[in-house]
Amino acid sequence: MKSSSNEVDTTASLTQQTRAESRPSRLWRITAIARNAFREAVRDRVLYNLVLFVLLLTAASIFIGELSGGQERKVIVDLGLSAMLLFGVFIAIFVGVGLVYKEIERRTIYAVFSKPVGRGEFLVGKYLGLCLTLLVNVLVMAVGVSLALVYVSGGWDPLIPTIWPAVLLIYIELMLLTAVALLFSSFSSPALSALLTFMVFIIGHFSADLKGLAASMGSTSARWLFNVLYYLLPNLANYSFITPAAHGRAPAAGFVLASGLYALVYIVVILAAATLVFSRRNFK
Amino acid sequence: MKSVSLGLVVVLGLACAGLLVRWTDTLRPPSDPNAIDESLYLNGKTARRISLSFNGLAADWYWMRSLQYVGKKILNQPGDVAIDDLSKLNLKLLAPLLDTATTLDPEFLDPYEYAAIVLPAIDVKEAIRITQKGIAANPNAWRLYQHLGYIYWQQGDYQAASEIYGRGAQIPGVPNWMLAMKAKMIADGGSRDTAREIYTRMFEESADEQVKDMARKHVLLLDSLDQRDVLKRVLQSYRDRQGRCPNAWTYLRDVFRSGSIPVDDYGSPVDPAGFPYVLRSGTCEVQLDPKSEVPIK
Repeated sequence: MKSSSNEVDTTASLTQQTRAESRPSRLWRITAIARNAFREAVRDRVLYNLVLFVLLLTAASIFIGELSGGQERKVIVDLGLSAMLLFGVFIAIFVGVGLVYKEIERRTIYAVFSKPVGRGEFLVGKYLGLCLTLLVNVLVMAVGVSLALVYVSGGWDPLIPTIWPAVLLIYIELMLLTAVALLFSSFSSPALSALLTFMVFIIGHFSADLKGLAASMGSTSARWLFNVLYYLLPNLANYSFITPAAHGRAPAAGFVLASGLYALVYIVVILAAATLVFSRRNFK
Repeated sequence: MKSVSLGLVVVLGLACAGLLVRWTDTLRPPSDPNAIDESLYLNGKTARRISLSFNGLAADWYWMRSLQYVGKKILNQPGDVAIDDLSKLNLKLLAPLLDTATTLDPEFLDPYEYAAIVLPAIDVKEAIRITQKGIAANPNAWRLYQHLGYIYWQQGDYQAASEIYGRGAQIPGVPNWMLAMKAKMIADGGSRDTAREIYTRMFEESADEQVKDMARKHVLLLDSLDQRDVLKRVLQSYRDRQGRCPNAWTYLRDVFRSGSIPVDDYGSPVDPAGFPYVLRSGTCEVQLDPKSEVPIK
């Protein structure tokens, strides 16, 4: 029932556009798919995790003070931002790997591709839809963390402005991970895609170790291998700014910009690769 | 009807499960609080590596675990326990816990402070190592120099304490007394004045309530020791004049009128916590009131 309603949403909006214009713009088509992907995520109750998050933060705000020896502000930032990242990673992985698979499984993809929609546009639209879901999720959580800080401090807290750049970096990391999930889901099953994406998440945080490993290797080929892995795999350690944020340290604007640019390049590469794989896929 | 029955099964089942847990708790043999603690499975470096982006949260967890660990041991110990003398509590996991917390989040200053205050009575080498690790990771955190100086001072190593206070005094924005402490350690390291200065500064600067309370009690003790010295002199003078010790403080009322020591409504000299000193009748021994907050030693 739900799948048919999604299909109706996508095809109806595309049909409407086809009627209005003989050649709908690429941007419009992507936007229509993104909007639909967002609506689908909301209908799938993805944002329900916010309730759990709010409960977690409320409990932490009330009880952590007694357990942390006066460190409740630090604990709230650590807990809030870590939960934001963890919940976001789960959404990016488990929703991300199903984005394409569900459409194929329900055969709604035939209806979508019967319209003038390119496979690349479909993937980018789906990707942006999930990114929008994650944005809403992250924004609500960041407001929640800020309010929890106001509650424990009994007013304005100087940590509030320092958590927002860390939140931005978390969101960029989630965007990157969503792209990875989409890439894997374009050619493998959801379970395998989820596993592979999770491994990329873990390896991405070990990138500094890969570099260290490369330096410590005796053989040239092994050194090369680890160096190549270091430069090819996404360096997610760049987006870890939770702990400094809890100490009131914000990342430099240049660092955020460079990390954002790196993510943008990486996302473009991954989406291009996903489109390449997806374009060759036979749905018969 | 069916859904009501199933709902009842769920509710009653959960209630039964709760009761069964309670029953099994009563059957379990009580654990010995002084039994050998389990070891930490992860060292700090490994914990940091596997914590991914969550190292701050993991550090908080280890920090809270340290506090719970000490708190549980204190609760199992009869009587009052001073935070800076927990040597009898078999806290062998405290150093690794604090070390892991600070490896996970090297900028987290509270575990260093806790290590500097609590660990010297348990493992002074670890206390020095963890505090030095904190200074290496946070060279501008002058309070860590204060804490390391405190550890050296406790060990009677006034030269090392002076050097550390001197290094801390070079940090921009540091209070002036850090430099004064450098000189005081060399000139007068073992005196009560120096001790009073150390604990007063610790009380003023620490955000930890336990540390503040410990410092406050030390200052009370030092003030009380000074007062007891005065009282001993007064009693000695009385004995020299009268050939015996007084039976009560009232015999010395005129002496106390000078205001050198505060007295209560009955003319008894009171300690810094406001409790009257106890004079053992016919002797010249002065004791603290058992209810007094001033520590015995």
